Amino acid sequence: MPISSFMGLQTSLRGLIAHQQAMNVTGHNIANANTVGYSRQEAVLTAMRALSVPANSGVTGHGAQLGTGVDVTQIRRIRDSFLDLQFRTENMQLGAAAAKTNSLEQIELSFGEPSDDGINMLLSRFWSAWSALASAPETDSAARTALVRHANTLATAFQSVHEQLTQVAAQARSEFDAITGPGGDVDNWARELAQLNRTIAHAVTVGQVPNDLLDRRDFLIDRLSELAQVSVTEDRTGAVRVDFGGVTLVDPAAAGGYTWPQTLTRPGGKLGALLDLADPTGPALSYRARLDAVVADLVTSVNAIHSGPGGVDFFDPAGLTADRIAVVATAATVVAGSGGGDGRNDIANAIAQLRGGSVDRSYSALVSEVGSDVKQVLSTEAIQQALVDALENRRQSVQGVSPDEEMVNMVRFQRGYQASSRAMTTLDDMLDTLINRTGKVGL
Amino acid sequence: MTMRITAQMTARNTIRDLQGDLQTLSKLQAKMSSGKEITRPSDDPYGASRALALRGELEGLQQYQRNVDDGIGWLNATDASLSKIADAVHRARELLVRVSTDSAGERAREAAALEIDQLIETIKQEANVQYAGRYIFAGTATDRQPYALLGADTYNGNGDAIQREIGPQVELDINVTVSSLLGNGQAAADDRLLHTLRDIADAMRADDGDRLRNGDLQRLDANFDALNQMRADVGARTNRLTIADGRLSALEQNSMQLLSDVEDADTVETLIQYTTQQAAYNMALKAGGNVVQNSLMDFLR
Repeated sequence: MPISSFMGLQTSLRGLIAHQQAMNVTGHNIANANTVGYSRQEAVLTAMRALSVPANSGVTGHGAQLGTGVDVTQIRRIRDSFLDLQFRTENMQLGAAAAKTNSLEQIELSFGEPSDDGINMLLSRFWSAWSALASAPETDSAARTALVRHANTLATAFQSVHEQLTQVAAQARSEFDAITGPGGDVDNWARELAQLNRTIAHAVTVGQVPNDLLDRRDFLIDRLSELAQVSVTEDRTGAVRVDFGGVTLVDPAAAGGYTWPQTLTRPGGKLGALLDLADPTGPALSYRARLDAVVADLVTSVNAIHSGPGGVDFFDPAGLTADRIAVVATAATVVAGSGGGDGRNDIANAIAQLRGGSVDRSYSALVSEVGSDVKQVLSTEAIQQALVDALENRRQSVQGVSPDEEMVNMVRFQRGYQASSRAMTTLDDMLDTLINRTGKVGL
Repeated sequence: MTMRITAQMTARNTIRDLQGDLQTLSKLQAKMSSGKEITRPSDDPYGASRALALRGELEGLQQYQRNVDDGIGWLNATDASLSKIADAVHRARELLVRVSTDSAGERAREAAALEIDQLIETIKQEANVQYAGRYIFAGTATDRQPYALLGADTYNGNGDAIQREIGPQVELDINVTVSSLLGNGQAAADDRLLHTLRDIADAMRADDGDRLRNGDLQRLDANFDALNQMRADVGARTNRLTIADGRLSALEQNSMQLLSDVEDADTVETLIQYTTQQAAYNMALKAGGNVVQNSLMDFLR
């Protein structure tokens, strides 16, 4: 079969088209150099199927394969799904650590130690006030008023820390509810994932690779991975099933493509940490229980001594928690000493000697424990952050857009385009010779 | 695998490094401006619990010092009164010795008896002395006058002790029971000072030289001894309080030093760290500026 004289034009045209398309991909990459979650794309250039030149048509008698140019067979997304997997695992841990750090730091701040007006100092001043009362126990003494004032300040401080610890737990709960509730992040992302699944499956069915939709889907799954453990299974249509915290969140087979709200069976990540913080056994409320125990100790030990002679309580004996601690004694009813004698001060002295006892010790142990817990979660968060950063770097190393590389590609494709058009001009020249100059001998 | 370095990577890393440097800088700055090594328990959990204990201890030491100062004031007032009572007893003894010889006339004894009466009032007045509005010789009945002036010689206070807390679990009695010295007068016939002095005045008025010479002088001397013992006791307690005061000051200094060691930032060290960190930050800024600026674009026509 003879080869058409015009075939070369077609070959060059293909070169022009392919390079233009590759240039468009480069432009797309450059435009998205700073788009979060974008994976760089690459036009895959492949040589076209060759024309067979049959045997015996040439001088040598051998046959040949004549190339017919180039084609863009695919626009490929460059991404390492294994790195995605690692990133999501670590991102979940980071989400948990960050939520925990945030709350524990708030708890630490609510104690406000060490300072001149933390509970530690107020307790100390409370004992001093008893000691001062022992030096001036008379019924008209100003030390009585001072003592009651110190006791009330102390009670208020306990109440305020109690309130703040309760708040931390409540905030964790409401943050959890906001994220998981209708219209929350999980709901929104799951709905968008379901939509993406449909669009992607549609594109895949007609043989296209919807790179940018895939990026968006991966980005949403990245976001989900911060909240709880995520695992992704892709089916043949290109749609994915997303398991989230132990339940199936996005399922192409489900009605509407996703199921939410559900109760997570294995909440990890940020949601797990928030649930833990809101739980009665979580850090905020167990610190609060420890604070309550300090208050119970304070109230019972002071009352035990104070009510000795006359049965009069100093603190409300029913207020055994930090929120309900209340001073019931007034300057007039404070008992400084047992028996007769205005100057008796044995009770005041006995209470003053509670200084440095179990109340002070268990409170400072609590503060110290909060401190070491915060220190621990801070370092966990830092390590986790470093891991996530390193993995994100690895991912960016694979999928990120390098402007230099794109510049090189630009030059490459520009030159390719120029060369193709030069080949076309040359062919044109040749055809000109053939068409316009041939057969004009003697004219 | 050789890493491709991409635009977002460079930007992310630059921002992260700058953030890291800034965080360290801001921590150091907080340390410098507050002067504290520990501003939150998580800075150093063990140090923080030490700081809490030391702060509590310091507050306690200051209260003990106030108690000790109050106790010393109380005992000084006690000693001053006892000293005046001793002066009075001394004067009574002089009078007694002077009029006990039979050469002393009836009128001299009468005059001496009058002076003894006055001395008794002086003694009662001293026993009624107050410190900060409280009767210091009335036991714990600090609101009651121990002895009624120009009245019966009965003691109106009680015999209970008043304690001051001068250290952790350390208490000291700061009052003395004056009734054991002055007694309840003639009606009680307890041979204490007031009873003795009343008897002496009576004997003088009765012009009874024999009683003055034989019984009364010995009883007065016995009371004088008891008074001196009481004063020695008060002196010893004042001494103990003064020593406690010194010890508490030393302890306070010590605790302050310890607290400062635990809690306060080392200024020089912090300053050096700050300067080093600032240099690192500047370097990171410069590097970031250069890295982000250049690309192949600058060199392509």
